[in-house]
Amino acid sequence: MLVEIIEETKGKDGRRNLKVAKENLVELIKDLKSKGYDHLSLITGIDRKDRLEVVYHLHNMKKNEYIVVRTETMDERMPSISSLYAAANWEEREQYDMLGIVFEGHPNLKRLFLPESWVGHPLRKNYDLSKVQYINMDEDGNDYATFDPGDGW
Amino acid sequence: MAEVKSGEGGALTTTVDQAMEWARSNSLWPLTFGLACCAIEMMAIQASNLDISRFGSEIFRNSPRQSDLMIVSGTVTKKMAPRLRRIYDEMPYPKYVIAMGVCVIQGGPYHLGYSVVLGVDRVVPVDVYVPGCPPTPEALTYGIMLLQKKIRNEAER
Repeated sequence: MLVEIIEETKGKDGRRNLKVAKENLVELIKDLKSKGYDHLSLITGIDRKDRLEVVYHLHNMKKNEYIVVRTETMDERMPSISSLYAAANWEEREQYDMLGIVFEGHPNLKRLFLPESWVGHPLRKNYDLSKVQYINMDEDGNDYATFDPGDGW
Repeated sequence: MAEVKSGEGGALTTTVDQAMEWARSNSLWPLTFGLACCAIEMMAIQASNLDISRFGSEIFRNSPRQSDLMIVSGTVTKKMAPRLRRIYDEMPYPKYVIAMGVCVIQGGPYHLGYSVVLGVDRVVPVDVYVPGCPPTPEALTYGIMLLQKKIRNEAER
């Protein structure tokens, strides 16, 4: 490995589980891609209250092997890997939508599921569920979020 | 049939109303509209085992403009709600709605979620509620029969 691995563990199913610093992430994933991990299976995010964790699941199509790369961020920012994997585009948009992680260098960082006017990121632990938001469509068929329960429907 | 009163030609109107309702109740055209897992149970009621055609309901139509019954089967999300309303508005009158499953009735297991409409009756008027998670196809068939009963008694209400 070119970059420093903070921690390496093995999962129950034998998957390698690497933990790296966020500065080394792009280099590590570039390295893994050149070693045959050609399929980005999944990107997930975890809210640990004081920090945000991002987990990348990479898949080697030829050997049918998975590898898990974990990294965490304190300031809600992550480097984007959408230049390496096209699949990362929407996965990173989903993480931005649900957890508010800003992927730097992403070509089109917009919300994937919710309308742009939605306030807050719903999978955050500090998301306020008591302020109910509603989604409605305008005449052009575009969604917008509103706090007004009497709007439309 | 209710008893026919004599005179004034009012007897004719009542009878026509009841005949219309009877015909309408035995010719329900449901809309192909499945939102989640309840839709699997909804599909079962049309198959040969529990054939709803035997109870006076036709096949599922693929266009809201050709159907008069909407079976809302599955969790209604906030993003789906305006679409659901639009599909409902496209259906011709008279139109009826069956709310199938607890998700549709009040949010069900997702009632604490950020994205779920707590009851489809906030979006469209509902005629019959069929509880269950999911309701059995038999329960939905019973719900359709209750709706037919409701349609047949419309003039008396």
